[in-house]
Formats: sequence, structure tokens, C-alpha cells
Amino acid sequence: MKLGFLVDLSRCIGCMACAVACKAENDVPLHSWRLRVKYIDQGEFPDVKRHFVPLRCNHCENAPCERICPVSALHYLPNGIVNVDHDRCIGCASCMMACPYNAIYLDPVTNSADKCTYCAHRIEVGMMPACVVACPTHANIFGDLDDPESEISKYLKSHRDVMVRKPELGTKPKHYYVRGSTVALDPLASERPEGFTLFTEVKFLDHIGGH
Amino acid sequence: MLGAEVTFDVAIPKIIWGWLVSTNMWAKSIATGTFLVGLYFVLKYPEKDNFFRKWIPILGLIFIGITLLVTILDLHHMLRFWKIFVHAHFTSAVTLGAWIVSGFVIILLISFWSWASGNRKLFNRIMIPGFILAFFSTIYTAGIMGQATGREIWIFPTEMVSMLLSATLAGSAAFLFIDRLYRYVLDDQIRRELGYILFSSAGLMSALYIGELYFARMHTEFSYKVVKILAFGDVAPFFWLGFVFGLIIPMILVGIAVEKRKGSYAFLGSLSALIGLWLIKHAWLTAPQHLPLS
Repeated sequence: MKLGFLVDLSRCIGCMACAVACKAENDVPLHSWRLRVKYIDQGEFPDVKRHFVPLRCNHCENAPCERICPVSALHYLPNGIVNVDHDRCIGCASCMMACPYNAIYLDPVTNSADKCTYCAHRIEVGMMPACVVACPTHANIFGDLDDPESEISKYLKSHRDVMVRKPELGTKPKHYYVRGSTVALDPLASERPEGFTLFTEVKFLDHIGGH
Repeated sequence: MLGAEVTFDVAIPKIIWGWLVSTNMWAKSIATGTFLVGLYFVLKYPEKDNFFRKWIPILGLIFIGITLLVTILDLHHMLRFWKIFVHAHFTSAVTLGAWIVSGFVIILLISFWSWASGNRKLFNRIMIPGFILAFFSTIYTAGIMGQATGREIWIFPTEMVSMLLSATLAGSAAFLFIDRLYRYVLDDQIRRELGYILFSSAGLMSALYIGELYFARMHTEFSYKVVKILAFGDVAPFFWLGFVFGLIIPMILVGIAVEKRKGSYAFLGSLSALIGLWLIKHAWLTAPQHLPLS
């Protein structure tokens, strides 16, 4: 079994239900996110387009975070999920430095690294990840990549415009995007000016973790 | 369609590894550099090696102590640092570094005992393992930076050379500094050779950094933007002050000191090199962290 995720970006309406469900399910503290949805506006009025991009851990087959973790706190589960052992983590932040997708955070409450685990605790009892259940447009498609009859396998087979983030790094992500674009998936393809926008303040955090 | 701009996003972290890690690299350069450079003089001038047999362990233990202190202070679970030994994950350069530095500390303690007890043979016996451990203690950080997949400006081979040059620069500067504090106890020829090592290390490091500014930006979009941050962005003051104080001024002052035999110039040059080294390491460490990875 090799679990994977697929987001059909043409279906995503940017409602954040997935992000909220993830926070509630996993008790993610303030200023920390396992899953977030980024809005990118492209173009100039009246020729404009808004991209919604849900971002979470890519559960790479060749995960840099797993390789650099000095104590194996980040480890593979047999189903391909890259999991975190909070009790073993020493809080060195190497995984945050190694992850090319900025998917790991230091939990300010536990002081340990944390990230999306594809809701491993739910999968264990036969449930779907919280974000999949919450999505009103079924943009999140989750399943076994090794099973040719699974929805994700069929989706991947029937679509030619499947993308992953930063394929050139050789991390072999198990998180796919359909109907994506460079603007949506490459963080350097868009400007990220700090300051207040129509919705919120776009900014960088000065401090991470709890010290 | 014209440009694109992020209009909604969560706050994402910027500096993950900051001044504590810069200090770690800086102090480690001095600790391993004094061992590597000192060993050369112990072997080349066995009749005049008392200075080095004394200061190799003293400087080594002080600065490796600082290295270990800031490393542990930087952990978000400081009291769990021991897990790196009982749950060691050897694909990680962090783990390899912890084990190698631990071995190097043992070598330094033996060196100290050798000097304190006057047992010269003891130090002679640990020269080869000491060299190996000092060498790998110097370069393991390059391995960590190489494993930071998203920061495409950190390439292992270049970082390794940079770390080795930092060590020879810091080691020679530290000895010249101590020599001045003790009113020129070193032989003139040794002082000149220390000057040559410092001069050539600074020269090669300058070439490496200038080369990175010109060529790294052509490799990837990420590197291109990091070079802009280094040269003109938020960390530019650290980078350029580090470049001038750590590399250019020491070359000029030590060059004059070697030619005119003026020890005070070498002292100022070595002090400038040690200050500048921290600045440039800090700039190089933090610049790639200014860019969003997602």
C-alpha cells in the first residue's frame, strides 16, 4: 500500500474548510498549520485570475526530512506516510531546514516538530483524512496509489496535466495536483509582498517554536 | 496575464536557524582550525612546538565548548540532546556530526592531558585520529547544508571547501592573536607562515564567495534570488562587512605584517578576520531562509 493525495485545483473554491477541519482534528495551535490554502492573484484588471492552492506535507518517497532527522523522529510508516514521533524529537529544526516545501513547523506547545500525517490516526481505523471529508467540492482525492482501482489511481491515469511541486529535487512527492500551474505551485513565480491585503496580513513569522 | 501576487496566506517562518547556528559554525572553525593548523607546525617544527602543544587543546576545548553550548541552546528540547546517541540515525549529517565532534572532544581532552602532564608521546599518538576527527568535524556542517534540499545555494562540495578554508583562516588568526597577547613568543618564521596561511585562506575564500555571487545565480531561480538578498537585500550589510573585515582587511594587514615584519598588523588582521568570519557565515546561513519555500 502506498497512500497518496491529489488535489484537483479546478475544483478548489478556496473555502478553507480543509484547513479548519485539519486544525480541529489535529489540535494544531495558533500560528501553526499542517494544511493551508494560499490565494494567488494573477493578472491586471479586467484580465485577472485567482489561484487557490492547498499546501500540505508531500509525504515524499525520498523525504529529505526523514533523512536529516538525527533521531528518526520523522519516519516512514509501511503505507508510505512520513510520520512524526513527538516524544523522540529533540527540536533541532533540521527537518524544517531540509523540507523544500515548508511543510513542517515546530509546535509552540510541545516544542516538537509536527506536520500533516495524512491523518494517520484516522486511516488506521478506516476513516478518511479530515480535510477530505470536509471538502465541499471533492477537490481532495486520497487513496492507495498501488491499487489500480482506487479513485486516485484512476484520476491520475485519466488526467494528463498532473503536477508535483519541485520535481527537479528528486524527492518523489506523493502529493499530486491536477490542473495546476507554475504560478500556483512555484512559490518564486509570484511576489509575496508583506503587508495588509484585501483579506489578511501577509507576513513572515519572526520566531518559531517555543524558545 | 501579467504578474502574480500572494493575496492570502498564513504567516510562514523566516529565520529557522539564526545567530546560534552561525556562532556554532564560527566557534567550530576556530576549534578545528587551531588543531589542523597547529598540527602542521608541530610536525614541521618539532623543536619549537611547545606553543602549539599548549594552545591546541586550550583553544580547542574553549571553542568546541562554545560550539556544543550553542548547539544545545538551539535545540527546542535541550534536555533530549542525549537521544542523538541512543536513537542515532546515521543518514543524517547532524548525527554524524554529533558523534564525530564527541570523538574530537576526547582527542582534545587527551591533548590537554598530554600538555598538562608533559607527556609528549601521548599527543604524538593521537595526531592521526585527531587530524581525521578535526577534518570531519570541520566539514560535517557542509553535509547538513547539503541535506537542506530546498536551499539550493548550499552545495556540499563548495560548502566543504568553504568550511575547510574557514578553519585554516580561523586557526591561523587565533594563533597570531595569542602570539600578540603573549608579546610575540613565536619564532619569526612560524609567524610568517601563519600569515601566509591566513592570507591564502582569505584569498581563496574571497574567490569562492565572488564566484558564488557570479555563478550560483545562474544555476537556479532560488540561487538567483538568494544572491540578490546577499548582495543587496536584508543581509547585505552582514555579507559585505564580513567580506571586507573577514577577508580583504586581513589580507592587506597580514600581507604588510609578513613583508614589513610588523606584528601589530598581524594582530589587527587576525582580529578583523575572526570578527568578519562570523558576519559572513551569518549572512550565508540566513540569506536562503529569507525566501518562501511554499
